[in-house]
This record gives sequence, structure tokens and C-alpha cells, in this order.
Amino acid sequence: MRRASAVIAVVIAMVLVVSCAPAERVDLGRGSGNLIVAIAGEPDQLDPQKTSAYFSFEVLENVFDTLVEPDANLEMQPALAASWTVSPDQLVWTFRLRSGVQFHDGSPFTSADVVYSYRRIIDEKLANVGKFSAVTDVTAPDANTVVIRVKQPTPNLLTNLGGFKGMAIVSRKNVESGQIATKPIGTGPFAFASQKSGDSIVLRANGNYWGGAPKVPGVTFQFITEPTTALSALQAGEIDWTDSVPTQRIAQLQGDDSLHLAVTPGNDYWYLALNEARPPWNDVRVRRAVAYAIDRQSIVQATSYGSASANQLAIPKGNPWYTPYDTYRYDVDEAKRLLRDAGAQPAKMDMLVTSEYPETITAAQVIADNLKPLGITVDIRTVDFATWLDEQNNGHFDMLMLGWLGNIDPDDFYYAQHHTDGANNAQKYSNPEVDRLLDAGRVETNRAARQQDYARAATIIADDVSYLYLYNPSVIQAWTTNLSGYEARRDGAIRFRTASLTGGGDR
Amino acid sequence: MTVLTHPVARFLARRIAYSLVVLIGVLIAVFALVQLVPGDPVRIALGTRYTPEAYDALRAASGLDRPLFSQFFAYAASAFTGDLGVSFRNGDPVAEILLDRLPATVSLAVAGIVIALLIAVPAGIWSALHEGRLSDAIVRVTSQFGVSIPDFWMGILLIALFSTTLGWLPTSGYRPLFEDPGGWLRHLVLPGLTVGLVAAAILTRYVRSAVLEVADMGYVRTARSKGLPPRVVTFRHTVRNALVPILTITGIQLATILGGVIVVEVVFAWPGLGRLVFNAVAARDYPVIQGAVLLIAVLFLLINLVVDLLYAVVDPRIRLA
Repeated sequence: MRRASAVIAVVIAMVLVVSCAPAERVDLGRGSGNLIVAIAGEPDQLDPQKTSAYFSFEVLENVFDTLVEPDANLEMQPALAASWTVSPDQLVWTFRLRSGVQFHDGSPFTSADVVYSYRRIIDEKLANVGKFSAVTDVTAPDANTVVIRVKQPTPNLLTNLGGFKGMAIVSRKNVESGQIATKPIGTGPFAFASQKSGDSIVLRANGNYWGGAPKVPGVTFQFITEPTTALSALQAGEIDWTDSVPTQRIAQLQGDDSLHLAVTPGNDYWYLALNEARPPWNDVRVRRAVAYAIDRQSIVQATSYGSASANQLAIPKGNPWYTPYDTYRYDVDEAKRLLRDAGAQPAKMDMLVTSEYPETITAAQVIADNLKPLGITVDIRTVDFATWLDEQNNGHFDMLMLGWLGNIDPDDFYYAQHHTDGANNAQKYSNPEVDRLLDAGRVETNRAARQQDYARAATIIADDVSYLYLYNPSVIQAWTTNLSGYEARRDGAIRFRTASLTGGGDR
Repeated sequence: MTVLTHPVARFLARRIAYSLVVLIGVLIAVFALVQLVPGDPVRIALGTRYTPEAYDALRAASGLDRPLFSQFFAYAASAFTGDLGVSFRNGDPVAEILLDRLPATVSLAVAGIVIALLIAVPAGIWSALHEGRLSDAIVRVTSQFGVSIPDFWMGILLIALFSTTLGWLPTSGYRPLFEDPGGWLRHLVLPGLTVGLVAAAILTRYVRSAVLEVADMGYVRTARSKGLPPRVVTFRHTVRNALVPILTITGIQLATILGGVIVVEVVFAWPGLGRLVFNAVAARDYPVIQGAVLLIAVLFLLINLVVDLLYAVVDPRIRLA
């Protein structure tokens, strides 16, 4: 027994010595000088054209390029294309490519890569194939030129090509070797170096980047799902940046000089949709009654501790496509009057929410409370996301709540959701006038006229309560004072190409 | 054949045969369960960018359009050669993904169970030998507290104290043992402690009742009345005979931790099996779910085997044959 106790004592002593001996605040490969950031989850795969996960795009934003890319105001700027022209009939777009660009493996970037990348999306019918719905042909007349033909004027072609990294230009060799999903090769500011399953991804700087070499030697993305842990890691100096921030701590962090906190109004939106294939929700008066009964401010408070902005339309103020609209207010009497007019007294409502997005569960509780005075008992059905999608597609719901993410062009906001033939029109909304406006918006090249089409469509959509828009969440990010040259963007793209680190106390 | 005449060898051969049957059963069950769960992996992979064309293309590419039976037999045949298929999500071989996660999971499980035993065995024995007294009550209340406290809360408190406030230990993450032994240990302390404290609370109660049961036996009274020193009575007669139930519950606890302590893994960003399975289920990544469940079943069987072998060591009356 004495020997056993001695062994235990030695083990405990060793643990204490090894774990606490170094006087510096924790190691984390700090010697590499890498920018260390924490994202809230692990990318499902690293093929930019195939993934739909935000975690993947957070990493891939820094690895891949598109022909054009959005600036801070979401206007399209040259990227792999140095310039472009449009034919007078608006049907032929000619892109001049940037010369001297190389992939991370050293092979030259040419027009053939652009054609290959776009053909891959079109021929394999990848998830973003809809971005090419107007495109009839993609050709490469010479190594530095790409020509895209469209069947009708397509004002949002640039946004479709460059709005996000799902439209990235990939390397044919990388795709055909089957490695792109795990070892992607791009042309972007950082090259993929390694991944540890469940732990981290390391990128190293691409010294040959056409936009100038990054100022940090690399970026390490750690996967820290629990926001409290990510914030602790930031405060302890283990990481430099994170977007995994507990919303309940925002107010407290805003007064903290040791950190930068960015709360940027985002382009994403959260909405409710009532199933118009099921009575009584097919009656616009019943849908409007629900719209008057919902208290958006309480929902914003409950889901985001007030960091989001309530909105009755999809697009937030500050966005070039913003349309003012404030028809609805929290008014239970008006809601009751509308229900009486409709002669409807729904007693139950099956509300579909998902544990994948906890805000939907939180909001549902507020909504259930909001609808009680109307005599509607909300049955909150919480399922995982896979089931949620099935139930949505099969029309098994009275009302559902979800967000629409990564929006730049109004066609992204409206067509799939509200056009009679829209791929995501699960609520079965159909209004010929809205269809006409959305079709017109797709081909209208006059910016002002296009703006008017969408403003009109948006107003009708909200009047008809095709979607009952709730709020725009903020893009919330925090970083240390050692990190400079980084800006939070309203489209949620995470770009570290211009970031630099200054040696702080613990470095 | 001479080898198999040895009782231990015969025991092992029988157990391995039996384990294979169990594994085939597990395989069928998990394959069936995964199919029964609503939710379509192809639909999820496409997310909000769903179109019917993209759906059909991806479904055919993943082999999900083939009949269920043909999917099962193809899977079972390759599983026995160690090929567990590839992940739907990124095409990585499942066997590689599992092997990547195994060291982190084993590290955490071993650290947790060692910490648990270091606390639970002395506390449980002490508590049993002082039954009904104040120190017994303290141990019992503390262990009740340990069982009740949610592990994520304990984890967050430990981070707040040891990482944010004192700056002694890293908040989260994992370092492989053979690349960075110091980092491995420092990153292991807090999650190990979280897992260990919760397991210790459970184990303490088992140790206490096992020792109490033995302490009532006639031979213990006899030993005491023979005038043997209390220490000898405690360790040679009482504790030694209480070891069998303690071993059993330790094995179960260890297997449970190996199967994944998802909450602790989330709080400490620990790349273990629990989070892998959780994410795979959310994405309906069938090959990863099946592979992980198989691996966990194998670990369970292995631990059971070791525990059975240890029974014979601690109690020579138990024979393996």
C-alpha cells in the first residue's frame, strides 16, 4: 500500500509540475506567428462548389477566388477578372483575366480553369447551378479571356459569379484527383496546409497572391462550438479572433477596452411562413392577424439579447436594396378584428422549429405566448434539421421559422422563396403580380427600374404575408487589440488577407 | 490445438466468437436504425441551395439510390476487411476519421477514470468504514452534489478559474501525446477533471455500498475478532473482496466515457468520438455513424473482456473456463 501511495503522489506531482510549470500563458503553437481564430464548428468539407456550410466558407473565403468579388458595400470589384465588358444587347459578357496568377500548387491560372469550374457546376448540377440559369455558354477564346453568353439581359450576373465562394474557380487537377474536399487548392491569399479532424485547420500565407502577400504567415482556425469557451480563450490570449460570442455578454463586452467587438447589421434574415396549402392560413386576413399579433421586439430580445434589428421586410437599413416598410404593429385588437372578418377561429397551430437553430425554439416560445390572446394554441414541434427539411418539403406544418443567409442580390432574397415556381416556396405562395415583378427584376438592366420592381414586389410579399419577416441578426465578432487591418463585413465573409498582428504582451 | 486446451485460451476463443456475433447484431441494428430515422442526407448536404436536379445528381453519386439490401451487404462485406466506407460529407475514409479521433477519446477516458478512481476509492472506503458518522455524511452529500451538477457547468467553472482567472491551463483544444507531451497533459487536465469528477461521484457511491456489503460478512468479523490490525482487516479482507463489483462499475463507466462525453467535448472543443457522432447524426452521414457505433461496440466488448479477465485476478475463486 505504501508503494502505491508513493506512486500516486509522484503522478500527482508530475501532473502539477508539467501543467503549471511554464510561467507563460499557455502554448498554442504561438511560435508559428499564425493568426489564431476560433469558429463555432467544423467545415463539413472543403470543396467550395459543393459545401453549403458557413463554417466551410469562413475558411474557404481565404483560400479561393471568384472572377469578381464584393467590396465592403457589396458592389462587385475585379478579382480574378481584371476587367469586363458587356455587349450593347446585354447578352455577351467578356472578361479579361488577371495575368500571372498561380494556383497554390504553382500551376498557372488560365481561362480554361474558369470554363472548367463553371462547367462543373452546370454539368454536375451542383447546388449553385441556379446562378447560371440565364447562362447559355461559357467559352475561352484565348488563355486570358472568358466569354459568357446569356439568354436574356442579366443585371445580377456579376453578383451571381462573385457573391460568395460557392462560385470559386477551382483547379481541375485538384478536383479530378478527388482531393478538393479535404486538400483544396485555390488561388487565394492563403493556401490550405493541414486539418486535424474535430480540432483545427491551418492555412499558410500565399506569397504570390495577386492582391499582395498577406501580412501574417498563416491562419489557424480552431473549432470551438461553445461560445463561452471561445470568449474565455480570447480573453486568455489563446486566440486572436472569434465569431463564437455569447450574445448575452455583448453589452458587457462593449465596455471592455481589451477587446474589439463588432456588431454589424447583417444581410441574413429570419422569417415565419404560414402554410397556404392548409386552411385557414390560405386566407390573407388570417395571416395578417398573425402578423399583427407577433411582438417582434420581444422576439429580438429573446433570441439575441437585443443585438438583432427587427424588420418587417427582408433587407436591413443600410443595404442598397433597402425598402422602408412599417405596415404592421403589435396590435392584438386589430388581429382579433381580422380573424372575425375572416370568420376563422383556428384553435391549434403546428409550428415547426429545429434544434439546429436554437433561435427558432426561443422565438417559438414568444410566438406561442403572442398568439394565445387570439385563442390559438401553438404546438411547438422541435425536430433536428434533417427532419425539419423533410417536413418543410412535404408541407407538414402550419407555420415554420427559419433564416435565409448570405444574401447580396434581391434575386437571392425573393425568387426562390416567393415566385410560384420558386424552389424554396414551401408555403405555396402564388401571386401573378409578384411573379411578374420577380421575372422582370431578373432581366431589368436599369438599376433604378430594377430597384422599383423589387421594392414593389417586397411590399406585396409583406402585405400578403407570404413571409412574416422578423429580424436581421447582427454579424458579431470579437478580436484582440493585437489584430489590426481586419474589418467585419455585413455579408459575413471572413477575410484575413489584410490582417496583421502586432506583438502584444504575451506573444 | 494444444494452445486451446489452456483454459484462458479457450475462454478467449469463445469470447471472440461471441463478440463477432454481437458485432454482426450491432451492424444490423445500426444499419436499420439509421435508415429509420427521418431526414435525408442528400437534402441536408444541399441545405438551402436545394434544386431537384442537384438532389438527383448527388443521390446517385452517393450510391443512395441502390436497394437497401444491396447497400447493407456491400457495407458488411467491406467492414470486415476494415474498410468502413467513406464519409458522405467530404469523401474521407471513415476508418481514418475514427483513428484520428481515437487518441483524444482514449486520453480523455483514461484521464477521467484515473481521476475518478483516485477520488472514489479512498472516499468510498472511508465513507463505508465510518458509516453513519459525519465524515460519511459529508462524502455522501458531496457525491450527491457531484452527480447532480451538470458537466457543462462544471467545465465552464473550471475554465473560468484555471484559464481565464489564473491563466494556468489552456481553455480548450487538444494536443497529440507523441507530438507534444507537455501540451497533451496541460490540455487534458481540465476536461479530464470534469469527466473524472462526475464519474467519481457515481463511483464513490458504488464503492461505499460494495465495501459496506462485505464489511457485514462473517469472515470480516472473524478477522477482526482474531485481533488483526484494522488496516489489515480493511485492505486484505474487506476491500479486496469488494473489488469485483467495483471493477464492474469501473468498466461500465470507462466504456461510457469512451462512447463519447459529448457535452464535455463541446465545452472544451475536444476532438473526440462524441462530437463526431453528434455531427454525423445531424448530417445523416450514414457511413460515419455506422463506423463510429461499430468502433464503440468493439471498445465495449474489449473492456468487458478485460474486466472478466481481471475478475479472475482479484478473485481466484472465479474461473474462466
